[in-house]
Amino acid sequence: MFLRLIAGRVLQAAVTLVLISLLLFLALEVLPGDVATRVLGREATAEALEALRRTLRLDRPAPERYFLWLSGVLQGDLGTSLVSGRPVADILGPRVANTLFLSAYAFLLYLPLALVPAVVQAIRRGGWLDQALSVATLVLLAIPDFLLATLLLIGFAMTWPLFPSMSIVEPGTDFARMLRLTTLPALTLAIVMAVYALRMLRDQLIEVLQSEHIRAGELRGLPPGRLVWRHALPNALAPALNVTALNLAYLVGGVVVVEKVFSFPGFGTLLLDALQLRDLPVIEATVLMAAAIYIGANLLADLCAIALTPKLRDAR
Amino acid sequence: MWISGSAEMDGPAPAPLVVIDRLSVDYRTALGWDRVLHTVSLEIRPGETLGLVGESGSGKSTLGLQCLGWRRGLRRQAAALRVAGADLDRLDTAGLRRLRGRRIGFVPQNPTTALDPAWRVGDLIAEAVEVHGVARGAAARDRTARLLARVGLARPGVAQSFPHQLSGGQQQRVCIALALACDPDLVVLDEPTTGLDVTTQAQIVALLARLKAERLMAMLYITHDLGVIAALADRVAVMYAGHLAEVGDTVAVIGAPAHPYTRGLIASAPRIDGPPPGAAPLTGTLRRLALPPGCPFAPRCDHAAPGCAETAQRLAPAPQGSPGHRVACMRAAALAGDGDGRPAAARLRTEPSTFRDPVLTVSGLSVAYRPPGLLARRAVPVVRGAAFTIAAGEVLALVGESGSGKSTLARALIGLVPRAGGTVLLGREPLAPGDRARSPAQRRRLQYVFQNPDASLNPAATVGASLTRAARAAGRTGADLVAEALAAVQIDPGQAGRYPDELSGGQRQRVALARALIAEPDLILCDEILSALDVSVQAGVLALLARIRAERGLALLFITHDLAVVRGFADRVLVLFAGTIVQEAAAAALFAGARHPYAAALIAAAPRLVPAARPAPQPEPPPPPAPPAAAAGACVYLARCPHRRSVCGESPPPARPLPGGGMLRCHIPVDELAREAPDSRDGPGEARH
Amino acid sequence: MSLAEPAGRGRRPWSGALAIGATLLGMQVLLAVAGPFLAPYGATEMGAGPPLAGPSLAHPFGIDQLGRDVFSRVLHGGHVVLGLALSGTALGVAIGAVIGLLSGQAGGLADEIVQRGLEIFISVPFLVLALVAMVAVGPVASGHPLTVVGVVALIYAPRVARIARAAAREIALRDFVLVARLRGDGPLRRMWSEILPNARSVLLVEFALRASYAPILVGSLGFLGFGLRPPTPEWGLMIAENRALLLVSPWTVLGPGLALAVLVVGLNLFTDGLARRLGRHVDFGVG
Repeated sequence: MFLRLIAGRVLQAAVTLVLISLLLFLALEVLPGDVATRVLGREATAEALEALRRTLRLDRPAPERYFLWLSGVLQGDLGTSLVSGRPVADILGPRVANTLFLSAYAFLLYLPLALVPAVVQAIRRGGWLDQALSVATLVLLAIPDFLLATLLLIGFAMTWPLFPSMSIVEPGTDFARMLRLTTLPALTLAIVMAVYALRMLRDQLIEVLQSEHIRAGELRGLPPGRLVWRHALPNALAPALNVTALNLAYLVGGVVVVEKVFSFPGFGTLLLDALQLRDLPVIEATVLMAAAIYIGANLLADLCAIALTPKLRDAR
Repeated sequence: MWISGSAEMDGPAPAPLVVIDRLSVDYRTALGWDRVLHTVSLEIRPGETLGLVGESGSGKSTLGLQCLGWRRGLRRQAAALRVAGADLDRLDTAGLRRLRGRRIGFVPQNPTTALDPAWRVGDLIAEAVEVHGVARGAAARDRTARLLARVGLARPGVAQSFPHQLSGGQQQRVCIALALACDPDLVVLDEPTTGLDVTTQAQIVALLARLKAERLMAMLYITHDLGVIAALADRVAVMYAGHLAEVGDTVAVIGAPAHPYTRGLIASAPRIDGPPPGAAPLTGTLRRLALPPGCPFAPRCDHAAPGCAETAQRLAPAPQGSPGHRVACMRAAALAGDGDGRPAAARLRTEPSTFRDPVLTVSGLSVAYRPPGLLARRAVPVVRGAAFTIAAGEVLALVGESGSGKSTLARALIGLVPRAGGTVLLGREPLAPGDRARSPAQRRRLQYVFQNPDASLNPAATVGASLTRAARAAGRTGADLVAEALAAVQIDPGQAGRYPDELSGGQRQRVALARALIAEPDLILCDEILSALDVSVQAGVLALLARIRAERGLALLFITHDLAVVRGFADRVLVLFAGTIVQEAAAAALFAGARHPYAAALIAAAPRLVPAARPAPQPEPPPPPAPPAAAAGACVYLARCPHRRSVCGESPPPARPLPGGGMLRCHIPVDELAREAPDSRDGPGEARH
Repeated sequence: MSLAEPAGRGRRPWSGALAIGATLLGMQVLLAVAGPFLAPYGATEMGAGPPLAGPSLAHPFGIDQLGRDVFSRVLHGGHVVLGLALSGTALGVAIGAVIGLLSGQAGGLADEIVQRGLEIFISVPFLVLALVAMVAVGPVASGHPLTVVGVVALIYAPRVARIARAAAREIALRDFVLVARLRGDGPLRRMWSEILPNARSVLLVEFALRASYAPILVGSLGFLGFGLRPPTPEWGLMIAENRALLLVSPWTVLGPGLALAVLVVGLNLFTDGLARRLGRHVDFGVG
């Protein structure tokens, strides 16, 4: 029955993505009126506008354009960039790979940054350490990610040049160099995510630690170590995954800012450039990809949570 | 000579297992320290079962936890707190850990939250055994299997189940197995059957009685239910507001209660074997913030003398003279043997001869439940072909266990749940199946009171506002309506400006009643309105309802699972099982005459206060499996009925008329069932179930 | 080690949060309103001093490369950030609350459809959605304060709607709402008299919570160049503009950064204190 559940959720996700693609298309190509003018600006010549209209097949009715585009996407053809003329898939590929590397690195850094203080705060709830950490969290929460990135940049790439200030990645860069290039941006992302997650994790852990079955275990004489590791944490995994899913929402958007600050060639900077230049096919493909990654990651977190909770496994 | 379990022994009494001497406990609150136990002294001997009785707020749960040495969030002062030879007051955490689960067991109130949802129950038990070094590996698993069998869960596959896959009763059995895992000397049980069905409760109590006879194990059984105490406890201690009011042998305390509070408790508990003559139920509520320095019960005591509130009461031998029976009341001697001179409580029932036209006529009512989801699954019948009438001014009780369909039936009547078939007439007018299609007059005449007082009042509206809205909807206007309505339910009209969270549970339920009454209805559907209230409060609400009904000629459909209430309050009874009405009879006739096997089982399972006939421990019958959806041609009670015959599985039983009115659905002829029916005063050992 | 036992006195650690937050916020509002009048120089006034000069008494945050006094610009920008953040949030919460409460009470198919619709918006990462929206409105509208307000509302409304719907559904199941239905109250009346009063605290906390992130959202847009156009003294924009001067004159960046951080800290504390006072619990972040 678990398989049926997975299939159902995947179907739902697919439908959502299709609807998002529709929304995107409407927003970027239908609503704004004359797309060609939007892309090229008011000073464009009539011939340039005509040429663009033919490239974009603007003479065809909108629904047809949409289906042409959608069927292309489903077959892997993401269109052609208006700016460079190259197939979008070729441009998007390496950028996505870079961003995935950065995200994975950020996630690995985030885990200890979030979990260790959360556990400490939960176990020593109300004490001075808990309060100090809460204050620190509150202050860090107030620093916007772009400011934090900038500060880290000054601090560790300029004042003490431990890391390069611009993370230019060429094809063929080796792993070690990749790590050096991505450390600062990954660290920024990790800190922001950890700070957002910390509060929620702490509260969830406290709730689990105070649950009735833990108290019942104490009354049975179970030692505290066992209670925390074998009884509390397993029940905390599912809610913690939920928090992680929320962080992913931030991550997919947060890379945009961080990549800009560090000039990292990922899909965040790709999106920003495409938006500046009104490169519609690239915008559409990138946003769709972002949504797909976000939905996919959420789905995974959801399914893991269900797999970890015996009660939910049986519910369907 | 001292009594342990079912044996009597000679010789000097062995040292007590539990010694509590002048124990006081304070809880830390936002406003400082709150004293929850006041210099309580108690003893429990090895193998003895001590019942600890009191209403909520009496401190009984706190006392139970102290027997496990609980320290969190409290401060304690005691001359002695010794269990199994260990001084719990001075022991360090490691020492306490060694004792808990090993020498002292604990069965919690709510089994569902007490079991780790991510662990299989067999593993939980094995863990308890291994952690305390009693057995390891295969030996531990073996022991687990034997423990589960001992608590009646011998069915294969239970040990591999997760808690949510078991029923409430099964979960509680697992908790009992957990408590017994290492063969403790003492088991503390904190209201273990609250929240369970009455039949499940009877099974758990029977299990405990059996375990008690098999092992030399002391029990501290905490409850508010005197009936269970009568069935299980050797001695009983009565607590009020953190003080010990009375303690002694169960027979002595229940047979001849010395403390006015104990007397009130006994009188308040609706009893299936009838109230003792001249007993007055408890009035008022426990106000923890307004306790006098002397006897805490003085504000509510009918016999309080001027000095009672100032003088601290001490335990002294009770006037009736049975050994070990002590009471903390300075007026005990004066009140002894007094009956208490007040007139017998007014009979709650009115005579049936005055009933007139039917207010509600139901025929062929069926309700089905369609499981949610896109895949069309077959509808499950929840109520099958119910038919009955309610006359003006009559109280019809609807009795059944949880899942029997009684709430669904009521909701179908009020229009919240769609009907799969049947008709309902209010007076002579047909009622539409959905509430939205009904006229304002129909809405006014038929009112509904819900079970949970916390959810039935709008927390954001004052009492007065809620009542005004109800009045307006019923087309009644007037300046004094609210005050009048509140006075009718015995609430000070000055409370109209309060919000629900400032009132007690009993008061909220009265306001809900007032809201129903303000519309001047013909019939009120009461959906288990007493279940969420404390025993002492229930009696008050019931008396109020009886009075109002007598004054206004109001009809009631009273849904309950408590047969004792039915006996004292209802005119007629409908017994519901798996959606089918299996018996309809006058209340008195049900308890005295022929009854359907299910009705017999319910009556036998109801706890009783008369401790004389102590049931002999029997081998426990296998727990009944969940009733399967009855095949169209069979009797719904087939799976559980002890009298089943081959014809029962082949055709649905006919509705046989009963001599005093009403009917009974059974293949067995009525006079045969009448012979089977014992006098309902007998203890649970008598009727087979 | 004791499990989850309050290690301290058990006093709640944030008893003063509401007070401190409110104070900070009050100060910020005052500065935002009075700032333009208190600022020694104009927002776009060039020639206040030598460009790239470091901090001094006359110019606490230094001078930027166009010769403008950064401190004055920060003061001028207060009402911009606060105004955009608060109005965008207010609009988003209002729209979201109406949609959510109605949908939650209605239930059934309509509710399902609305939920699917909301999910579309929530499934696009919020910053990406904001950026796309900015571009979609076209070159004329983009950069206009009202557009920024609209985009903030666009981000928040679906999220608030989801919370409002959950609250409405939970409340609608309680018996007292059934009582209202049984006496003949229609759905709108029930929404107004029974559900909304009980959802008030949820909505209030939602507003405070969203408002506390809104300055960061607005700042991010400005930083990326998709917010208000220069030379508006919007703090995020200023940070972006002065980034190149970091090594030379860091206070041109730290100044607006500090202002933004103090505003958000004040909002966070206020939100937290308010939530506790109302007996609720908040998780910060856009979510």
